[in-house]
Amino acid sequence: MLKKYIIGMWCIALSVSAISCKKASMANNESEHQAINRIEMLFKQGGTTVSTIVAEDPDGDGGNPPSRIDNINLDINKIYDVEVKFFNISNGVTKDLSSTILQQAKQHEVYFIISGLTLPVEKKDKDDNGFPIGLISQWKTGNAVGKGTVLLKLMHKPLVKGANDDPNKGHSDIAINYTLNVK
Amino acid sequence: MKNLLKAIKISIFCLIALFIFEDEAIAQECNFRLSGIIYDGTNQQILAGATVSILGTDKIAITNKSGLYRFSKLCAGTYRIKITHVGCVPLEANLVVNSADLTNQSFNLLHSTEQLSEVLVSSKYDSDVNSIKSSLTVEEMQKLKGGTLGEMLKQLSGVSVLQTGSTVFKPVIHGLHSQRVLILNNGVRQEGQQWGAEHAPEIDPLVASRLTVIKGAGALRYGSDAIGGAVLVEPRSLDIDTGLRVELNSIYSSNNRMGLFNSIIEQGIKTKNSAWAWRSHLTYKRGGNARTPDYWLHNTGVQELNYSLHAGYQRDNTKADIYFSAFNTKIGIFWGAHIGNLTDLENAIKNKTPLFNIDEFDYQIGRPSQEVSHYLIKAKLTQELSKYRRINFVLSHQENFRKEFDRALIDNNPELDLNLGTTTADINFETDRFSNTNQQFGFTVQRQANVWSGSRFFLPNYTNLLLGLYGIRKWDSNDLQFEAGLRYDYRSLEVFRNQNGQNFQIDRQFNNLSSSFAINYVPNNNVSWLNNFSLAWRPPHVNELYVNGLHHGTANFEIGDPSLNSEISLKYTSQLNYQWNKDTYFDLTLYTNYIQNFINLVPVLPATLTLRGAFPTFQFKQADALLSGSDFTFNTALNQSISYRLKASVLIPRNLESRSWLQQMPAPQIDQEISWYFSPGKKGNYISTNALWVARQRFIPDNFIDYLAPPGEYLLFNLNFATDLRLMKTPVSLGASVFNLFNVRYRDYMNRFRYFSDEVGTNVVIRLKINI
Repeated sequence: MLKKYIIGMWCIALSVSAISCKKASMANNESEHQAINRIEMLFKQGGTTVSTIVAEDPDGDGGNPPSRIDNINLDINKIYDVEVKFFNISNGVTKDLSSTILQQAKQHEVYFIISGLTLPVEKKDKDDNGFPIGLISQWKTGNAVGKGTVLLKLMHKPLVKGANDDPNKGHSDIAINYTLNVK
Repeated sequence: MKNLLKAIKISIFCLIALFIFEDEAIAQECNFRLSGIIYDGTNQQILAGATVSILGTDKIAITNKSGLYRFSKLCAGTYRIKITHVGCVPLEANLVVNSADLTNQSFNLLHSTEQLSEVLVSSKYDSDVNSIKSSLTVEEMQKLKGGTLGEMLKQLSGVSVLQTGSTVFKPVIHGLHSQRVLILNNGVRQEGQQWGAEHAPEIDPLVASRLTVIKGAGALRYGSDAIGGAVLVEPRSLDIDTGLRVELNSIYSSNNRMGLFNSIIEQGIKTKNSAWAWRSHLTYKRGGNARTPDYWLHNTGVQELNYSLHAGYQRDNTKADIYFSAFNTKIGIFWGAHIGNLTDLENAIKNKTPLFNIDEFDYQIGRPSQEVSHYLIKAKLTQELSKYRRINFVLSHQENFRKEFDRALIDNNPELDLNLGTTTADINFETDRFSNTNQQFGFTVQRQANVWSGSRFFLPNYTNLLLGLYGIRKWDSNDLQFEAGLRYDYRSLEVFRNQNGQNFQIDRQFNNLSSSFAINYVPNNNVSWLNNFSLAWRPPHVNELYVNGLHHGTANFEIGDPSLNSEISLKYTSQLNYQWNKDTYFDLTLYTNYIQNFINLVPVLPATLTLRGAFPTFQFKQADALLSGSDFTFNTALNQSISYRLKASVLIPRNLESRSWLQQMPAPQIDQEISWYFSPGKKGNYISTNALWVARQRFIPDNFIDYLAPPGEYLLFNLNFATDLRLMKTPVSLGASVFNLFNVRYRDYMNRFRYFSDEVGTNVVIRLKINI
């Protein structure tokens, strides 16, 4: 009697290893797939792009630090039209996320926080509520040569976005510090 | 001669039964003694190790090798006693203790093989008396209904919670939590994503009729890795004598406007030589945003739908039962705590009120949120091999699904999607003889597979094979009871990684030997002194080894260390219980837990730089730790209707390596309660008030880079009311509680969202229970 039970139970116990086999061995790629991992700032004059500033972190948050953050080099006494573009590059496929951000414009705002020198920036685009977005902006350099930094922030703030929000309102989707040279 | 003895015994019993109906007067003297011998009803041999409990009191006696049980310092009166012994039909009887100062009463227990037992599936999975544990009383359970498992358990001294906002509560036992605390759901080890500090146990506490916490590694049968302790979630026994029984619970919470409905339907059916019983349970709850004294917390709603079905069958010497349970929840994560980087966190801390919040009530749950489902199916077979030997076989499968929704940029899928499947087979062989020993040994095999998907890596895929072998022996000699247990575990871990398209596999093996030894000294029925020594090993969890990513809802970047070794815990716990009389007792627990290679998340430099900004970085590191502390409970009755209770606990968490303290450990606290039972003798009719004082945590690491110092001490007052009524002959229990009566503004060190918002304000809870 006992023998019969023990044998039966052993068989079930041994088959356990076969029951819960999932495809654990087919691992997903660990590099972040849907985050913004490339940002381009297009500096234009008269509709022509004069400089493209790139920031890139191909393997997403963690792993290796951002592989590239260009310096922003501008000339004195110039007016630049600046377009910011956000991309996700994953497995060789590039997705332009700027259009998604534009679609969700009421939840987003781009900020340029410049320190070290004076450089007025005016946001040229507005969402459906008439609040600034910042994907398109105009930068005016003065006649002073100097060095500084630009903190580019993409803030996510669904339902709470207002006309003159503090750059800290919401949470940061992007925060990159660029070196700025005005020559 | 034997028959004559039996006849005398029956006569005495009948006489006593007569007394019960004759005189229920209560004398105030409490010097009476009660003793007797428990026999096996079939062969009249004495039964050692039988439990004799006086119902409605805390008095319990275990028969010694002569089958003798003793109670002393009893007040005169009528008592209902219950006698249980493994493999026997429990017996309940009324007894009168009066005039004579020694009442002698012996009983015969019938063996369950002789007769169908009343109980098909026992509610108690851990029958050992030699582990240090505490349970919520029936009244406490009723009072706390509507809360999560963690919120209910924190009422026990020595148990606290690790909170994530107002919605996620994890039980913490003597400072340890997550993988170090084992949760047994109806006798099965809960296998969820317990590694995460913001992952609450996937269990509906309303399935339980009893919640017990074992402090320390006292549950060797279920695994050695629970070096913090174990939580037993025990449903009521499936009784065949129940008939059809329906219980309905309805609960409303004012703070988050939460409504809860729960139904339990059960039935027992008996035929000539077989019996079966079943029970179903259903819970639905929905709550909206919680409110602090000053503002609403946006996106803190909760939804839950849980159900279970349990059925048992018995015929001759075989018992079988099958249990299925489902737990589904959707939890909102407070908006204001959803930060992008360190700068956001610093800004959030600078502001007294959350910077990113909508100060309105709403039931809507948006991103960020969690969706968690847990399914369990369990089949158990018990075969009586002979009168005193039985074999238990348990086969179970669990599926855990966890989805974390953070930020949708490309699609609406969760950023992190984890699926953990666990199959366990357990064979357990038990013997209990007439002599004073009881032993069991068993074998467990478990297979586990975790698969992740989503767009954000946190925890790799893995498979886990566990083989466990254990033996536990109990014996007693006069005033001493002993228990010794030994367990060996083999764990084989296979981890599957894919870094930038490069697949590779990592294999690790762990061999651990754990043991526990307990001595319980019971010189009389007033004193019991339980000493427990345990040596337990916990292999590092996959997340501690290989995690690499941003933690959801916090601005922490966490990095695992593949070279971590097993934690080894050596714990001594001593529990002294002294009982003056029925209502006055104290319980003092002292413990010291030396943990070699304690795995701890410590800050490292430099911060992780990303395109989203900088993140403070934490790495799993090992250090030797010493966790010592004490839990104290004192209870007394001022008179028949007013009682006072004090609970206090303190923990000293030492990091031996840095000669400093460990972070995120519970602060000392004292909870005092005064209850007025307005109809004497009825525990269900009372008004009580309690004051909970929690100190400011002063044991914090010297050089720890915490963003915010521990919050200050706080004092909370709660009010409770309960009454049992009859509405058109239907028993109805009505209860009401006011938590945080004075709407105190406070923050708690053990809440991971203390950086962002205050704790919730006043909450009025109304409970209605109907038995049909």
